[in-house]
Amino acid sequence: MNTPVSAIQIENLTYAYGRAEAVQDLSLTVEPGRCYGLFGRNGAGKTTTMKCLLNLLRPQSGRVSVFGLDPAKHEVAVKRRLAYVPDQVAFYPWMSVRETLDYLASFRERWNRKTEQELLERFLLDPAKRTGSLSKGQRTQVALIAAVCPETDLLVLDEPTSGLDPIVRREFIETVIGAYQEGNPGNRTIFVSTHLITEFEGLIDQFTIIDRGRAVLTLNSDLARERFQKIRARFAQSLPELDLKAALRVRRNGRELELIANGAGAELVERLRQHNPEALSTEALTLEEIFVATLKS
Amino acid sequence: MIFQINFKSGMPIYLQMVDQIKAAAASGALKPGEALPSIRPLAEELRVNRNTVAKAYSELESLGVIETLPGRGCFLKENHSALRKEVRRKLLTEEIDQAIVQAHHLQVPRDEFLELIHERMDALDDKRRAHESQKEVDRP
Repeated sequence: MNTPVSAIQIENLTYAYGRAEAVQDLSLTVEPGRCYGLFGRNGAGKTTTMKCLLNLLRPQSGRVSVFGLDPAKHEVAVKRRLAYVPDQVAFYPWMSVRETLDYLASFRERWNRKTEQELLERFLLDPAKRTGSLSKGQRTQVALIAAVCPETDLLVLDEPTSGLDPIVRREFIETVIGAYQEGNPGNRTIFVSTHLITEFEGLIDQFTIIDRGRAVLTLNSDLARERFQKIRARFAQSLPELDLKAALRVRRNGRELELIANGAGAELVERLRQHNPEALSTEALTLEEIFVATLKS
Repeated sequence: MIFQINFKSGMPIYLQMVDQIKAAAASGALKPGEALPSIRPLAEELRVNRNTVAKAYSELESLGVIETLPGRGCFLKENHSALRKEVRRKLLTEEIDQAIVQAHHLQVPRDEFLELIHERMDALDDKRRAHESQKEVDRP
């Protein structure tokens, strides 16, 4: 049986700007149809990683491939199958929105006019307006429309919501991703970098957290929410003596105790229960809380 | 059908949806033949990946709870379990065992536990009756 070719495969990628290492020995694989998140703080190496996929930067060591192809050797074949929204969006400022979209469409084999119209209306964008007079958020919206309409197999988004206001961010998630995936359900792949994780909570089905160029954690989202738990306990008198080495983080406050657990939740709960707490509760961590907990520990 | 997704429950999102549809079917909030929301609008409303909704629906379909009519959408099936009686009993036994373990830890004795089961089954019946009388009222 043939295993399907991964949408993205990064193996031991390293890239440095002069002596500043931006990405170090990074490996990850994105299977087709996934919505994959690359989470990291500013300067963690997200943009550098993405630029290597697009042949905007050449890996100094390691390998990247997109649908099994090396972006440096098969640049056109790779770019035909993906659309990219960079962190800084720039258009020719004298062109109108309409002209810009037509210009970008001219490079593409396909262009879904219906989706284009739908999104222009949803974002209340005036096609006659020149891109130079648009706000930063509106320019990002135009870039997103231009990325979705060619209906490529892969969408690479670098911090797509960072310049947008909260309402538009919601719209982005709801409409742009929905419109993109709908055309070929189960097969369109999204690779998105962000530090605004809450907005992507329900969309991301797998993620890698990178910190100072290195991958710190790669997990499936459902599994992550099952593994990372916040456990709260309150005792009648003072806190008992407890072995809490299995916890990722411990906070104590009077009779109260709060633990963050990574995988050892059941064991810790059992240990707390033996001391008959007055109250004991557990909840899953959200992806953003997992991000914070991972980087702080 | 209005879903409540809780990212803090630790339960996979698609399973939360599966459970809610099963509960709605059991209580009569969702009736046989009734349409489920279509995938894309639902995914947008819940702000989840459309693949998650699709996964929940295909799980329900393999369980025989719903059926997909091509081009028309998903519908709740009549008399839905496709599984044999022994299998159904076995599945339920596992769930009951878990509840019994939980009861033990919470120091709920046998009588009280059995009483609680009766109470909960009555509550579900009441809900179902309420949904049925609602239907009578809705009828012109």
